[in-house]
Amino acid sequence: MSSSSSSATAGAAAVVSSTPAGPNMVEVFVDGKPVMVEPGTTVLQTCEKVGVQIPRFCYHDRLSVAGNCRMCLVEIEKAPKPVAACAMPVMKGWNILTNSEKTRKAREGVMEFLLSNHPLDCPICDQGGECDLQDQSMMFGADRSRFTEGKRAVEDKNIGPLIKTIMTRCIHCTRCVRFASEVAGVEDLGTTGRGNSMQIGTYVEKMFMSELSGNVIDLCPVGALTSKPYAFTTESIDVLDAVGSNIVVSTRGGEVMRILPRLNEDLLKYENILSPFTHTHAQLCHLKTTDFIQGSEVGAIAGGMVDAEALVALKDLLNRLDSDTLCTEEIFPMAGAGTDLRSNYLLNSRITGIEECDLMLLVGTNPRYEAPLFNARVRKSWLHNELQVAMVGHKVDLSYSYNHLGETTQVLQEIAAGTHPFCKVLAQAKKPVVVVGSSALQREDGAAIFKAVSTIAQNSRASSGVEEGWKVLNVLHRVASQVAALDLGYKRGVDAIRKNPPKVLFLLGADADCITRADLPKDSFIIYQGHHGDVGAVMADVILPGAAYTEKNGTYVNTEGRAQQTRVAVTAPGMAREDWKILRAISELAGVTLPYDTVDEVRRRLEEVSPNLVRYDDVEESNYFKQAHELSKAVNQSLLAAPLVPPQLTVKDFYMTDPISRASQTMAKCVKAATEGAASVDEPSIC
Amino acid sequence: MAAAAVVRGIGSNLSKNLREVRLHLCQISAASQGTRDFIEQHYVTLKTANPEFPILIRECSGVQPVLWARYGFGKEHSISLDNMNADQVAKALESVVNAKP
Repeated sequence: MSSSSSSATAGAAAVVSSTPAGPNMVEVFVDGKPVMVEPGTTVLQTCEKVGVQIPRFCYHDRLSVAGNCRMCLVEIEKAPKPVAACAMPVMKGWNILTNSEKTRKAREGVMEFLLSNHPLDCPICDQGGECDLQDQSMMFGADRSRFTEGKRAVEDKNIGPLIKTIMTRCIHCTRCVRFASEVAGVEDLGTTGRGNSMQIGTYVEKMFMSELSGNVIDLCPVGALTSKPYAFTTESIDVLDAVGSNIVVSTRGGEVMRILPRLNEDLLKYENILSPFTHTHAQLCHLKTTDFIQGSEVGAIAGGMVDAEALVALKDLLNRLDSDTLCTEEIFPMAGAGTDLRSNYLLNSRITGIEECDLMLLVGTNPRYEAPLFNARVRKSWLHNELQVAMVGHKVDLSYSYNHLGETTQVLQEIAAGTHPFCKVLAQAKKPVVVVGSSALQREDGAAIFKAVSTIAQNSRASSGVEEGWKVLNVLHRVASQVAALDLGYKRGVDAIRKNPPKVLFLLGADADCITRADLPKDSFIIYQGHHGDVGAVMADVILPGAAYTEKNGTYVNTEGRAQQTRVAVTAPGMAREDWKILRAISELAGVTLPYDTVDEVRRRLEEVSPNLVRYDDVEESNYFKQAHELSKAVNQSLLAAPLVPPQLTVKDFYMTDPISRASQTMAKCVKAATEGAASVDEPSIC
Repeated sequence: MAAAAVVRGIGSNLSKNLREVRLHLCQISAASQGTRDFIEQHYVTLKTANPEFPILIRECSGVQPVLWARYGFGKEHSISLDNMNADQVAKALESVVNAKP
């Protein structure tokens, strides 16, 4: 080939690939086009680099290689047999023919075999239209069938209320098996039997009990594993935990039917879709109120799923009425630097930092159920990068092994003081990371816990000699709106309200039952604005229907400090409106009209308060750890003896933790199944 | 240092007229160097003297350094700290502390 001679020289500029020629690169040809790759790259990855997609079923770039579907067979020039592209590493000088006669024949043959036992379910299959088998048979399959035999059928398995299984459609790619074993850490799925009688399942009737179980629905290339509650689309982010996982929300009519993951390398690769749900909005009345009071007589509490636009509108409204009593439900220690310095309350190492660190200390958190995707990353790092994990807190199953140091605050104190044996391990870590869970900071001694954690972080940073840019101290939040509220300057926890009970209390999506009527003066007036009123709406005098996160363009900041946007997936039902618009309307009635009319103007205001709030999809570095630590040293609180127990311990605690999931029938089924077994959940018998 | 004297002068009076102070700065630009120095050297003193007062420090790449002061009834005032040194930043802070809304 004439082009091959030009790339025989060291410079790789002649080639499509963007990586510079390293010392060990291997030259390979894809359909005659030369490409330089690192040794160990597989044929499939090499072709992808050039832009040629090789069809496959069992290969997934986040799972281990299986090579059992054989759809990726390609011909190598002058080789006697085609090779499985997903598994075969390239050798120097190979010419990979991705569209030759032999390759095409191989694909047609594999397709024929796969379809021979596959049922004719396309018209009734949920996967129709997004089915890999359909797409690849159109592109690579033969146009006529030679099949005159009978097909085999397989019994359906019950693996829980979220995953519908029609195992007859299974093509045994084993993606679900590998996912369960590698990523989720629960080795429940496997293959039994061989040849024609091979079946994928749990063998004994067992629920696939993992917080990541819903992901197999997305992984399965055919309609064997589909979503039980289910069905159509826009892109958004998930606000049911503070990781802000990127999702695609599928809707039909006015209801959210399912949630799919969206790829965002920096955050995570698998989204937790254990939250497909349907909204059931009750009829909410919309009353007008024109009497307003001022100053410390008015206060507000913001709940866990409020977007930044609403938070700033509420703050501006109350500030203009001369009130500073704006609180979040979730507590964060006020002492020391508090929330002045962002580095005090963010996951500073970021989620990508997990893959670089070599020792992680978890304090008072169960990341498996508080932030499952964070946990999946830790597990990945534990599997592939030899990450050591240690935990101070209640012993829980994290899906990977870790060094359990104890659950008492005594242990924490000893590590901070340098007297615990673990300190030696910590001192030797090259890139240590300390993560404290927000639930530990909710305690009365939260400030003391934070002080201890800060000390541990500073000490291990000093002893590791790691470079200036590496951050050790991290806070793992559980509540989606918390970071934005802290960025905007909200007070943390409702103490301010308890100390000075206001006459008028505004509850913005606040359903955690922090303040009840009993805490307020006799004739107090409570306004609740939100989308799923449970506790908050019940005690309110006025209920204003707001929009949920899938129904508005809102800004949320995740636990890393990354601002992201949600988009409208469904229109808000009934008379519900976007939260900031309601607040803007109220401000007019109260005579303190807020100076913004469009969402862009609100965002400009957000920028005036904290510019990182409009830096979408980026994380801004925050510093001044030394200053924060100095201030925390002055904190004079002592640790309580109570052990550090996070609120979510087992999988049945995972499903109903916020007003949206508490209102969901599917989540209720999940809790029932987790407590009583899969057979206890009554399912309709339609396929 | 002049800044230290100013900070001592402010003492615990941050909350006299103000409700909230915000400092916007860039983590690396030269224009924000003075603001960064001010925080590095004097934030702890200021906060120790005013433990309950919110001094929100919000770093964001590429922004112009600004001091925002919020008074009662939501009135806000901003001062650009572009290219100021730590002493000048301290003086700017002093001016908003003493200003009547």
